[in-house]
Amino acid sequence: MKLEKGIFAIAVRSLIQIVRRPIYWFGFFGIPLFMFLFITSMMESGLPHHIPAAMVDRDGTSLSREVTQSLSALQTVDIKQTLNSFTDARESLQKGEIYGFFLIPENFQADLLAGREPVITFYTNMTYFVPGSILFKSFKTIAVYTKAGVAMKIANSAGADAEALAPMLQPVNIQSRGIGNPTLNYGIYLSNSFVPCLLQLMIMLMTVFSLGQEIKYGTSARLLKMADGSIVKAIFAKLAPQTLIWWIIAGFMLAWLYKFNGYTMQGSWWVMALSEMMFVLAAQGFALFIFGVLPNLRLSLSVCSLLGILSFSLAAFSFPVQSMYGAIGIFSYILPIRYNFLIYADQALNGIGIYYSRVWFAAYVAFIMAPFAMLWKIKKYMKDPVYAP
Amino acid sequence: MLKKISQGFRNFFLVYCREFKLVFHDQGIILFFFFLPLAYPVIYSLIYNPELVKEVEIVVIDSDRTSLSRKLTRMLDACDEVRVIGYASDLPEARRALNEHKAYGILQIPEGFAKKIGRGETGNTVFYSDMALLIRYRGFLMATTNVMQEIGSELMTQDINNTVPLASTVVSGDLLPINDISMGNIRSGFDSFIMPGVLILILHQCIILAVGMAGGAKRENPRLVGYDPVNIAPSVLSSMVAQALCYITIIAVPIIFLIHYVPLMFRFPMAGDFLQEIAFLTPMVIAACGLGYAYQATVQEREEVFVSWVFTSVMLLFLSGLIWPRYAMPEPWKALSAIFPSTWGVEGFIKMNANGSSLSQVRSEYINLWILAGVWWTIGWAVRKWIVRPQIFGRKKKFV
Repeated sequence: MKLEKGIFAIAVRSLIQIVRRPIYWFGFFGIPLFMFLFITSMMESGLPHHIPAAMVDRDGTSLSREVTQSLSALQTVDIKQTLNSFTDARESLQKGEIYGFFLIPENFQADLLAGREPVITFYTNMTYFVPGSILFKSFKTIAVYTKAGVAMKIANSAGADAEALAPMLQPVNIQSRGIGNPTLNYGIYLSNSFVPCLLQLMIMLMTVFSLGQEIKYGTSARLLKMADGSIVKAIFAKLAPQTLIWWIIAGFMLAWLYKFNGYTMQGSWWVMALSEMMFVLAAQGFALFIFGVLPNLRLSLSVCSLLGILSFSLAAFSFPVQSMYGAIGIFSYILPIRYNFLIYADQALNGIGIYYSRVWFAAYVAFIMAPFAMLWKIKKYMKDPVYAP
Repeated sequence: MLKKISQGFRNFFLVYCREFKLVFHDQGIILFFFFLPLAYPVIYSLIYNPELVKEVEIVVIDSDRTSLSRKLTRMLDACDEVRVIGYASDLPEARRALNEHKAYGILQIPEGFAKKIGRGETGNTVFYSDMALLIRYRGFLMATTNVMQEIGSELMTQDINNTVPLASTVVSGDLLPINDISMGNIRSGFDSFIMPGVLILILHQCIILAVGMAGGAKRENPRLVGYDPVNIAPSVLSSMVAQALCYITIIAVPIIFLIHYVPLMFRFPMAGDFLQEIAFLTPMVIAACGLGYAYQATVQEREEVFVSWVFTSVMLLFLSGLIWPRYAMPEPWKALSAIFPSTWGVEGFIKMNANGSSLSQVRSEYINLWILAGVWWTIGWAVRKWIVRPQIFGRKKKFV
């Protein structure tokens, strides 16, 4: 059989390999598309509402019942149980029935009016960060509200006009405004980083997997022959069809996040599209570099999985790099997704000039260039493919 | 009859022993059984180990320039969460600091702030927060709320005393102290929140990846792998149990490391009873083996596990309810979460580990795990009998 040569022939061969095996279908299309849908739809409601909580009312007076009522009126809280003791509430929390509780002590009303300073305590289960934090905020609001109400009552009893006193109860107000995400939508916050990070994981795995297969089954020598012995040609032709697929997926991702889900998009679509296209190349480049360092299918896949999964934490989507240990935080900058995230925050979320993101774009270029340093080694292994399990 | 039983035991024992040999021949599986549970949690915990986000940079636009506005700035700066890096003359200048990634928040105090308060009105200020990271916003919110209250109650007592002298007999000091207590994760640290759940997830994934890879290895060309990976007794169930027992033997030490020593090293909450936790996790480990056997149906070659299973770590983290509470999940995802052992394993374990629940308090999770163990082992058995075995025997004939 005559050996067809040239970039086009290799690209066709590469496409046929993809079409023939179900695992490629999963890796290129099935998994990314499913996970896009999964992550965004999980947090569709923006923030969890009606968090199960309990009220421990040891006082049982009109005042304590008022507190219970104002708590129940909040959209964020669902008073599931009214309990009699701290122990009951703690047990309920341990069973996971509630995420926190509000405790009003005995003789609360009497002590309060007599100036004996009773203490209101609320407990939140911080093992669950999101519901815990929301409960904390709601409980605190109600506690402060109660306090103000009491102060008004006392002033009233001392002969002052309660109406005139109202602003005095909150002399200073600091209003919080979240730029680009005023409703604190959890989906905007998490999907915009997790979805591209998942894409990075799949790009890296598929790049290494498809190249490693050539070495595992000894077909890499033939691939190299088809490219007239040029490793640049061979790799380019092998990966170009994949790049095209990833660009389509990334384009869909862009539309999925900012169009269908309506996440904040204050910047230019073109800049974001450029960012995603360069991101795909950067992730491929990064994977190729790893494959060059470890041209063993299993080892490079292990490293890509490790880095791909660690990226979700290390790229600092939830915990800032500035707060990490310096020796750890520095690794954040060896991940392509870090720059994707920074560009997203600058462009889509905050809509600032591309000038401010120039360094992040330059970093993409570095990832795209990196594999050229390792091509010689990949060539060596492709020439004499040895499979080490 | 007796001979048959003893033969069965012999086969069982042979498979058990041979599986050890296979595992230690396969670097990939060794990596999953040792590196993954021993090194990975340490790396992971180190990332979040600082726990709290402190001293986040902000700029202040003080258009009021009174002692009160300066006091407000000073009090905010004194908070753990915030650090004031400087003043800006107007909003565009402050925005520039944000754009250049030098600061993440802006406090804007308008002109006439102190005057308004002096008149007995509310002095309004605005805090703008960068929203790329929610944890920064959370810190800002805590700090501003605290400052608002502190300065508020100070001014309030002062004002009320001026307006209504008699009230001072009642309103001296704090009228109604408010106490907040964080349970489970008492420092509200990020590491202590996410890691205990992730530890269980790591354990779950180790087992499934290793079992999946072992399944893939059995279908490979023996010449390519370098050894004959087929290891089965005549009885399907017996070989499954023998292999699972081998994996559990190997993973026992890493489990103890994961649930006892990692929390000890990083000072995570450790309110649970160690033996009860082990008892709780036993059905999860068994169920994970069963899920691994079922997963073997799709693994045609060893390395495929990376492509087809690694992504589930992200999915399972969400499904476990750690990030987004289970009760608030859309119904289809809630249903999906119920079929994975990790969901119940994580939920039960963090209740025990952080909130000090006893085994009886996590009864429903425990029962679910045993049910899942039964279901996955049944599916796994079917997969082994009708998919994996015929393929292995078919291949063997081809290569002999």
